[in-house]
Amino acid sequence: MSYLLIVDDDEDFATAVATVLRAKGHEVRMELDLSAAVRSMTERRPDLLLLDVMFPEDSTGGFELARTMRWRHENLKDVPILMLTAVNTRFPLGFSEKDIDDDWMPVTEFLEKPIDLDVLAERVDTILAGRQGRRG
Amino acid sequence: MDSPVDPMERRAYELPTSAAEAPPSASAATDATTPWREALLTGNVLWFIRLRWAAVTALAAFGLAGLAFPVLMRSLGLRPQVDWPFLAAAILLCANLAFLGHARRIVRNPLRGSAAWNLSTQIVVDLLVLTMVVHFLGSLETPTAFLYLAHVVLACIFFSRRHSLLVAATAGSLYATCVGLERLHIIETPGIYLDPLLRRALTGHAAFPWLTLISALGIYFIVWFLASHLSELVRNQERELAEANRRLTLAQREKTRHMLRTTHELKAPFAAIAANAQLLLKGHCGALPEPAADVVGRIAARCRRLAVEIQEMLQLANLQSAEEQPAPTGLDLAEMVRWAVARVGAVAQERRVIVDEKLEPAAIVAVEDHIKMLLTNIIANAVVYSTEGGIVRVRCSGTPADGPVVTVEDEGIGIPAEKLPRIFDDYYRTEEAVRHNRDSTGLGLAIVRHVATSHRIRVRVESAPGRGTALTLRFPAG
Repeated sequence: MSYLLIVDDDEDFATAVATVLRAKGHEVRMELDLSAAVRSMTERRPDLLLLDVMFPEDSTGGFELARTMRWRHENLKDVPILMLTAVNTRFPLGFSEKDIDDDWMPVTEFLEKPIDLDVLAERVDTILAGRQGRRG
Repeated sequence: MDSPVDPMERRAYELPTSAAEAPPSASAATDATTPWREALLTGNVLWFIRLRWAAVTALAAFGLAGLAFPVLMRSLGLRPQVDWPFLAAAILLCANLAFLGHARRIVRNPLRGSAAWNLSTQIVVDLLVLTMVVHFLGSLETPTAFLYLAHVVLACIFFSRRHSLLVAATAGSLYATCVGLERLHIIETPGIYLDPLLRRALTGHAAFPWLTLISALGIYFIVWFLASHLSELVRNQERELAEANRRLTLAQREKTRHMLRTTHELKAPFAAIAANAQLLLKGHCGALPEPAADVVGRIAARCRRLAVEIQEMLQLANLQSAEEQPAPTGLDLAEMVRWAVARVGAVAQERRVIVDEKLEPAAIVAVEDHIKMLLTNIIANAVVYSTEGGIVRVRCSGTPADGPVVTVEDEGIGIPAEKLPRIFDDYYRTEEAVRHNRDSTGLGLAIVRHVATSHRIRVRVESAPGRGTALTLRFPAG
């Protein structure tokens, strides 16, 4: 069982994702804004962060949080990030693997909304398995 | 009598590859007139150079005629002239080579020279050589003085009113100087006519030279006034059109940006609806009674279709936005086709359609994601509009001299001939297509059109109702 943090301003979407991941046996916490997410991660480091891109107060807030974690938080810089997004602000046709780089979008993987919950659960398992593999 | 048309016969349609449909460049949107004007001037430079080769040939031919056929010329009452025509031809030839070299540098790199400067120099050199021609042929007894008008008119077309007035004044001054020097006997010419009496009859009266000169200068001015006025009117219209075009481009860009934003705003709640429908369907909220499960199943299915539709709308909007488009790279077309075939594999399996691929490597330079979109849409269409058990043949050939070719041929429902020209329109779907597959959005071939236009890919469709469709993509060579 892993501890997962979902950060998304859309409560309905976050709840649906949390329901599926809890059913898979994970401990899941939801945060609906970025400052609450930072507080939450400072209190307890998640094994995986599921992060939205656009927030009401900042249209690229998800990217900013990912960069802050990678560059400024020693404790959080290795937390894998699965980005869940409805838009791609850099290359509007859709994300591709090569868009994931440390300068622009330092995340582990991304999924474009609307998502297939089975695919999401599979990606979460893959990321967590990879993480455990690296630890082992 | 015409033979009756077979409605089932295979008909062809080629997607127009109009440059007007190509996405406007960023520079076109920011400053619509300047680069366009410079490009037009460069075109005029090259045209003017080509025209000068004709003048060089005419002068050389005139010199040769004097050399080879002096008797014939004399019989026509003309004095054979050899030296100055060859000299004038040689001067123009050397000058034209220099102009051509400069023009090529401008074409290669517009920052390395000005087309306006090239044209101005061409006109000045022409006027000097023309004055030589006028002098030797006879400045007063022949109508050669009117040859200056050609340059006055051209200057009105190429340049501003002030600049063209300067050209007209230069032409007038050169002609006046020529006539003045001749009248003062500082320079002399026997002229083109053999008969001295004829020459004297034409120019003998004391007032004649000055009347001719004043008339010529007056005509230069009148022609300059009319031509420059008309040219200015046309130029103003061009400016207005360029400005209107710039505004339209900006409006289109703004519309696209708004649409992208709106689509995203709709996508977020839709993602929540889709996720919650999946929750219900997968039993996360307990078992549903069968009718309820059926309804939720339909909701989930519509969500999947809507997701595809939103994706296609976004793709199309992004192709139309022409903003921050990714850079083209070197690609293997066969690899792209293979990727697209794999992408539609599940649909093909579901519909029991066999995709038969024969792919040769073919190098192209293109935007990878755009080519993937183009091929996926075409191959997916061939699969979706095939009948069950049908075959879709996908070929990629890298050898043709005029560029790589991809053909996608199906044995499906086909397209009636009269509907072929509309299939690339946004949201257009034939009745036959809707009957066969209710789920399509009508945007797939619109995406194909945009990618093909921006990549200069020629698209040819051959189809016959009930017999299938063959679509050929011809990529640019090199």
